[in-house]
Parts: sequence; C-alpha cells; structure tokens
Amino acid sequence: MIQANNIHKTYNDGKVQVHALRGIDVEIKEGEFTAIVGPSGSGKTTLLNIIGGLDAPTLGEVHIGDTNIAQLSENELIDFRLNHIGFVFQSYNLIPVLTAKENVEFLMLLQKRDEAERNERTTKLLKAVGLEDQINKKPNEMSGGQQQRVAVARALASKPDFVLADEPTANLDSKSTANLLDIMLRLNDEENITFVFSTHDQRVIDRAKRVITVEDGKILSDETK
Amino acid sequence: MIFKIAFKNIWRNKLRSWTVIMAISLGIFGGLAVISTATGLSDMRQNNAIRTYVSHIQVHDSTYLKYSGLNDVITQEKAILSFVKKHPNTEGVSTRLRIESFIQTAGGTSGVILNGINPEDEKQVTNIAEKLQQGNFLETYKRKPPILISKKLATKLNAKIKTTIQCSFTDANGLPATGVFKVVDIFSTSNSMYDEVNAFVRLEDLQAISSIYGSHEIAITIKDEEQVESFREELIAHFPEQHIASWRGIAPELGYADKMMDLVMSIFLVIIMLALAFGIVNTMLMAVLERKKELGMLISVGMNKRKVFWMIVWESIFLSLIAGPLGIIASYLAIQFFGTYGIDLSFAADGLRSVGLESVIFPTLNTNYYILISILVVSTSILSCIYPALKALKLNPAETLRTA
Ligand SMILES: Nc1ncnc2c1ncn2[C@@H]1O[C@H](COP(=O)(O)OP(=O)(O)O)[C@@H](O)[C@H]1O
Ligand SMILES: [Mg+2]
Repeated sequence: MIQANNIHKTYNDGKVQVHALRGIDVEIKEGEFTAIVGPSGSGKTTLLNIIGGLDAPTLGEVHIGDTNIAQLSENELIDFRLNHIGFVFQSYNLIPVLTAKENVEFLMLLQKRDEAERNERTTKLLKAVGLEDQINKKPNEMSGGQQQRVAVARALASKPDFVLADEPTANLDSKSTANLLDIMLRLNDEENITFVFSTHDQRVIDRAKRVITVEDGKILSDETK
Repeated sequence: MIFKIAFKNIWRNKLRSWTVIMAISLGIFGGLAVISTATGLSDMRQNNAIRTYVSHIQVHDSTYLKYSGLNDVITQEKAILSFVKKHPNTEGVSTRLRIESFIQTAGGTSGVILNGINPEDEKQVTNIAEKLQQGNFLETYKRKPPILISKKLATKLNAKIKTTIQCSFTDANGLPATGVFKVVDIFSTSNSMYDEVNAFVRLEDLQAISSIYGSHEIAITIKDEEQVESFREELIAHFPEQHIASWRGIAPELGYADKMMDLVMSIFLVIIMLALAFGIVNTMLMAVLERKKELGMLISVGMNKRKVFWMIVWESIFLSLIAGPLGIIASYLAIQFFGTYGIDLSFAADGLRSVGLESVIFPTLNTNYYILISILVVSTSILSCIYPALKALKLNPAETLRTA
C-alpha cells in the first residue's frame, strides 16, 4: 500500500517559484490499476517521482508499506526502489548495449538472484509481454512498442510491490498502445500486479480501473469504476 | 554484469574510443621512442668513451697516481697480467708506459703524454687503431721509431705524416732524455681534450729511451659489462696494493649523464601521463554527459552509486587496457627493430661526430621501463576517471529523466 499525505512540491526555478503540487493526499492499494490524468504541466510526473522515491516532497510524507521513505538514506532509498518499485518511463528505459533478455535480467543481477531463477523469470516475463522470439534483440532493433513491453517485463523482474509508469504510451501508436494496455491489464488481472500510470490519452484513461485527475497540483477528482 | 556493460559501452562511440585509444598508444609510443633513443645515445657516448680511452678497468701503482713519478711502475705487473689473461671474462688487456714529455717539430711545440704501448694488445682494449687516417697503428715504419699524434696536435705542431718529432723528458735517473720519432699516422677520437694531450709510441722504444722497463697503467676490457664491478673486486682482492678503478671511477662524468637521462625520462613520463589523463578525463566526461538519461534511469531503477561509479571506472580501465598494450607492443617492436638495425642519421653525421656520437643510433630500453609504463598507464587512467565518475554520481535521477 502506498500512502501519500499532504504532498507539496515547490521548485525554485531561478527567481520564480513553481508550485507543482499543492497538498495531495492519495492512497493506493494492492492490485489497483490506476491512471493519473491531467493536462501537461499539471504535476503528474512530479507526483509519480515523489511516490517512487525519485524526488523528495517539499512538505508531506510518503509511506510505502511500513516505510516512511523520507527516512531512508540515499543508498537505502536506491535499494528500496530496486526491491519494492518497478519503473517504466516514457523513453530511455533500456540499456542500449544489452539484449532484451539481459535488460530484463539486469535488476535480478543487482538483487543477486541465482542464475536458474533469473533464467526462468526472464523467459516467463518476456513470454508474458509477447516477446519470447525477440529475446536476443537489442533495443535499437526493436519497435517503440516492443521496447516498452521489455520495459514492463524489466519492471516486473525484481518482483516489486507495484509498478509506476510515467506516460508509458506517449511515444506509441494506437495499436502498440492498445497492445501494451492489454498486457498490463492481463498482468493486473491474472497476477494481481499493481499499476499506477500517468497519461493524458483518453483511450488509456478509458481502460483504467481508477482515475485520479490532477490539475494545478491538486486532485480534482478520484473515481473508481 | 558491470564489466560486461562497461566493456560494451566503450564501443557505443567507436570513433571516439578509437581516437582515445590511438592517442594513448601514440603517447606511449612517442614517449618510449624518445626515451629509448636517448638511452641509446647515452649508451653510445658511454661506449665510445670506454672504447676509445677509458676502458673498463685501469690498474695503477698507488703512488703513481699521487705523484706521477716515473719510477712508480706497477710492481706486480707480471702477476696481474697472468691473472687477467687467464680470467674467462677478460676481453683485452694492454700495458702502457706513460711519460709526460715536451715535444717539438720545426713548426711548433707542445706538452704531451707519450703512451708507450704494444699495438697488438692495445687493439684489444681501445679502438684508436680504427680512428687512423691510414690504418698504420705503429706497425709499419723504417729507421726512426714511429709515433701517432692526433689531428688536433698535428695542427698545433704543424705536423703531417712523415714529420719528425723530438720528445724531451727526464728519465728514470733524473737525466734529460730525448727521443726522435717519425709520425706514421694521425688519429682522431671523439674526445678532443684527450686527443690534445696524448700521443702513442711503441712500448719498447719508450722503455729504451727512458730506461724504465715496466709500465704505469694496465687497461682492461671485459666481455660482460655487467660484471665490471665484480671483476674489479676480484682484482682488488688479489692485488690489494694496487690502485684499481672501474670506468665509473675514472670518468664519473659518464655516470652524471646517466643521472641527467633519468631526469629527462621522468619529465617525459610525466608529460605522457598528463596527456593520458587529459584524454581519459575528456572522453569519460563526454561519455557521462552524453548518457545522463541512461545513467539517471539506472539509478532510478535501483543501481546503486557504487556500481555506477565502478561502471565508469571500468570503462576507462578497459580503454587503457586496450591502448596500453597496443602502445607498448608497437614501441617494443620498433625498439627491437631499430635496436638491431639502427636509426641512420648519416645526413647529420658531422654534427653528431662533433659531440662524440656516431651517425647510427641504436635505441634501447630497459625492461623495467615497460613495466613502469604499464603500471603508470593503468593507474593514471583509474585516477583520471574518478572525476567523471563522481560527476555521474551527482546526477539527480528525477532531473535527468525529465529533461527531454
Ligand atoms: N525541475 C523543475 N524546475 C522547475 N519547475 C519544474 C521542474 N520540474 C517540473 N516543473 C514544473 O512543475 C510543474 C509540474 O510538472 P510535471 O510534474 O512535469 O507535470 P506533468 O507531468 O503533468 O506534465 C510544471 O509547471 C513544470 O514546469
Ligand atoms: Mg509528465
């Protein structure tokens, strides 16, 4: 479970202060399939970064499970992200010199999992995202949609508590977008994987099970279908 | 895995990596080329000195060195000669009778040391015989006893081959003695100071004129130069009353040249390493800045900073591990080749000869230098990638991922 209380984030951009988030309270439970939506500049990325421990709030607290992530040291926080959170970004997700298989394996190597487990899980995940025949391809040999599917597989490889995805479909055509959503939904339904993703694409919003709308750094609405 | 990624990362920008690799290996090559050529020159200078006038070891009577008394001949001459001749490491041995003398021709006068030598023996020790105009090393002469003078002295005395020279000195009994010689050939070595004060005559001629039937100096060359000092110690142990010196003691200035060389080499090594450091800092900094997003992503998904740091360090170690051996092997091959066949600088031969050098240089390099260079290259590249690696650690993942 993720709990974010009274999150404020103010950027000091030179002389101007930007209030990116102004008091956000949100709770995300296991098994959710939640979209954070809102126009560009509304604070979606900032919120996801703070929930994911990539950025610290100016005010407020984030608890993941029993952990107040503000209390972790820099190194502990990196380890915490490795073991508890899966990330999918809009782009630059993969290590360009490694194959799909090696990219998926990477986090498990950081976690020092043994080889048998790594192989089994990599094969399973690449199959789950429909890329079992692309395992030896490098990112630049794959389409944008395929790369994002590898990123989803990579995010799941470390067995995280939940997956945060910041505009994962922003660079994809509609067919690849639908395909990626299918895969994420199936993983959510069948394996109870928690997804929190931001988007401003209506077709993606339509398929979310919970939609949190932010505007000007505040929650405008929060609907569970 | 970190290794693997680091190694693969090098080849992402092939042109840049190869440029750095080539720059590093060229730097090593250039440095080693200069060092080995300089060593070759210094060795040549040293060898020239040893072969023309110093030899490896000289034996004198202890009192002779202090007072240059004509009567202070080497008392154990026979014993020393037989010992040296029996020694397996002996290359040549020559006995010399040295008398300071006043010499004059119709055209001029000068002071000179007459060296009474046995030409056959002297040939084994020095190469004066090879520095003659006509190749007559006191071997061919008619009635008058022969003398060899240097080109320098010949000019001073206005003498030529066949000129008659008169030498006057005080003999063993304190009586004036005079010898009349005929110039049979003219020599010139690379040391003009030596040339000016030395002339050669036959040992038996000088003994007859001076009534000194002995010698003042025994010059020895040995086969294995590394064993000069141990040979000397052996001699001292057997003949403790004699004064026995090696070339290092006789001509210490040759050793000073070595010290200078060490300094020059250290300076060159520092320059090479600075160039190397600059290349690595530059390349790795570019590599880090270019990959900001990727590094930010790696930190975001859970790669800790220690691993990121080592990934960058390994990248530069790999670069230098490729460049180092390349440069060292190229240098080794070049030094072996030119060390055998020489670098022919005959177009500058006159200039070189005037400073005591020959026109063909044989570069040489001590194995220790290769080892030293290898260690320096690797440690310099590790040190110089620390700054770029620390830059990578300062990256804020949220920031790097945001900037499109
Ligand atoms: N590093 C930063 N410095 C200054 N302002 C920033 C920075 N990051 C984001 N912002 C501002 O914060 C607001 C929210 O940005 P963001 O979270 O990226 O919104 P979204 O992801 O919904 O487009 C925007 O006005 C943006 O310009
Ligand atoms: Mg955004």
